[in-house]
Amino acid sequence: MTPETSFSRRRVLQLGALTASLPALSSVLAACGGGGDSSGAVKFSGWDYESALVQANVDRFVQLNPGVPVEYTPITSSQYVQKTVAEFTGGGGPDALYVYDDSLAGWVAAEYLQPLDGLPGVDEVYAGIYPSNAEAMTVDGKRYGLPYYTDTQCLIYNEAILAKAGISAPPKTLDELEQQSQRIKDAGILEFPIGLTAQLQDTWQAWVWGLVYASGGDMFDEAGNPVMDGTDPTAREVLAWLQRAATVSRVIDPAVLQLLPVPLDDAMKAERYAFTIGARYALRDYNDPARSQTAGNLKIAYIPSLDGSATGTVSTTRMYALSKDTEVQDKAFQLLTYLGGFTDGQPYTAKYWFQKKGLGFPFKALEQDPEVQAGIATFADPEIYSGLADAARPRTVVKQPWYSEYENEQQKTVQQILNNQTSPDDAVRSLSAAVASLKQKYS
Amino acid sequence: MTLTAADTEQPPAAAASRPRRGLSDTARAYLLNAPAMIVIGLLVAYPIGYSFWLSLHRYNLKLPALERFVWFQNYLSLVSDPVFLSSLRVTVAFVVVVLGMTVILGTALALVLNETFLGRGVLRSLVLLPWAMPGVVNGLMWRTIFDAKTGALNGLLLQLGLIDSYQAWLTSPTGAFLITAFAQVWNTLPFTVIILLAGLSTIPSEQYDAAKVDRAGVVQRFTQVTLPWLLHPLLIVLILETMNAFRAFDTIYVLTGGGPGDATNVIAVLNVRTVLTYTDFGLGSAYSWVITIVTLVISIGYISTLYQRGRIEV
Repeated sequence: MTPETSFSRRRVLQLGALTASLPALSSVLAACGGGGDSSGAVKFSGWDYESALVQANVDRFVQLNPGVPVEYTPITSSQYVQKTVAEFTGGGGPDALYVYDDSLAGWVAAEYLQPLDGLPGVDEVYAGIYPSNAEAMTVDGKRYGLPYYTDTQCLIYNEAILAKAGISAPPKTLDELEQQSQRIKDAGILEFPIGLTAQLQDTWQAWVWGLVYASGGDMFDEAGNPVMDGTDPTAREVLAWLQRAATVSRVIDPAVLQLLPVPLDDAMKAERYAFTIGARYALRDYNDPARSQTAGNLKIAYIPSLDGSATGTVSTTRMYALSKDTEVQDKAFQLLTYLGGFTDGQPYTAKYWFQKKGLGFPFKALEQDPEVQAGIATFADPEIYSGLADAARPRTVVKQPWYSEYENEQQKTVQQILNNQTSPDDAVRSLSAAVASLKQKYS
Repeated sequence: MTLTAADTEQPPAAAASRPRRGLSDTARAYLLNAPAMIVIGLLVAYPIGYSFWLSLHRYNLKLPALERFVWFQNYLSLVSDPVFLSSLRVTVAFVVVVLGMTVILGTALALVLNETFLGRGVLRSLVLLPWAMPGVVNGLMWRTIFDAKTGALNGLLLQLGLIDSYQAWLTSPTGAFLITAFAQVWNTLPFTVIILLAGLSTIPSEQYDAAKVDRAGVVQRFTQVTLPWLLHPLLIVLILETMNAFRAFDTIYVLTGGGPGDATNVIAVLNVRTVLTYTDFGLGSAYSWVITIVTLVISIGYISTLYQRGRIEV
């Protein structure tokens, strides 16, 4: 080998070592930059829903509390979990942040969050919110969140279409729902009166949970063990009803298997369906004359149950939480209290979101607020609206690490029920087996 | 006055006696290529290597506290994972259907476009259009066409009297599978046509003349002349389209989301869902490597079986 070519081996090794050290070097640099904020500002992050309104509310907080500067960072919703975990892993996580109810348990286990028990005002907040929201924010008996917003599933029906078919009241049982739909169908008003969203989605199919909970049943026991193929027949019976309504009486539109939430909303507003099961929140849009052909006709009701005796539904909870390693705990908690607690005795931010965007409020006291009552009355019956919040339960397994995989399996099973690819018995057995497999995977 | 190469060349002896200054040619070559190599290393090699490293970990963002190195456990778990095995079956069927349709339609279209006729240039340009369409847009377009309520296909068939009412085409497992395969083929067919058309243009016309003299019919001319000459272009098509079909995601995700049931839950959809929805980066990376390895093995198989057969001495 000539002196000219001897460069390659030694030099390449040197360069290789240098290149290999780059990631480590960048990590060190990132860690140096990711530490606490020298300005003492509270780092607050959340997914980017209406970030301008969030900023306006945060600005109001800073005006009221000049000694508590806040740096608000909205993060793209679809990447919120990944980015937040990356920030915490890198040692530069936020001081206060939004948390999804299905992320809470994992983030507690990872020691990203600190319990709020014992901090001033927390007991009052938990005493003032609906039980389902309190349950969703509690892990192993400790409270980790203050509520951002909540919503529950309900039956939404088109009163005008029902009236055309000579129906004066919404159904209380699933059989009544099928019969009323049949009457609408027989009257030639709609070929398929029931619309649902049954395309596979990365979010949850809330109406399935709502149907089971409305009949007083569950797919799981409190420990997260499947009961749908054993002690609790509710899920199997609900699936049997779904299959009958989709394939025998054919009152559920076969096209629901390719229907997503926004097209369903459009269809409801265009009077293409008489019934759906959706969030209370949707009614504000459905009954907005500027956006709906049938504004004022879409009404809220309890989800029909198997025998008409039970009342129930499912809820979701979004919350604010406090980082475990925050260096500005007092200030961050002050912000948290403003956002998810009481300000001058009132849940200011919860009311702010309801009035601005119709987001469901977790505080029972707002049921009595005249402004809120008037706001609800523009799109729904306030009594049923509040009754649903009282009757709601969070998903039993929402805190399980395998929940999102189970949700996907459940959605696929519901599709197979709707297009008659499986039987209700096989469906619940398959779901139960899927849970066993997931538990083993995560054990 | 212009200089010729002979004027500028130095005698070998003079070059050898030139004193060494600075870096050698080899070192200079490394130095000049270094920026590109570093960029490629950082942007390509590092992520690929890092994804393999992740695939050896239990790493789910929902359980960050349980992250740990598990060697090849993620890969071994796939052997008994019913979701993965079901997805693999769907993927293999999808690849076979897509490849079959692509090769048959692509060859037929290339043969047509290789003929001389009025408007051939325009048609050749039009055939390219689907290739320019992003997968998501392609998925949305076919979703609109096959829509159960407002789809153009339903409107057309109803007006022709072929159906009595609008049909939900994407709600049956078989319908959804075939429609997603068709949408995938439509998007990637132009590439196949271009490659095969290029292959057809290299076939000497004398071969066809000789075949005609030997009284070979159309079928014989295709099987004895055209097809052997197309083996190399077909090899390229098979390798690239197999890769495309194995990695097909956006069109399927937009059209069906992987449903109904597991009907279109191909491995790329499962992979993306595992990483982004289940936030399981360890297992998701293992899926990615399985796709890569399977594609690599199939490509080697194609090359070993077709390359020698397609060797033609002119």
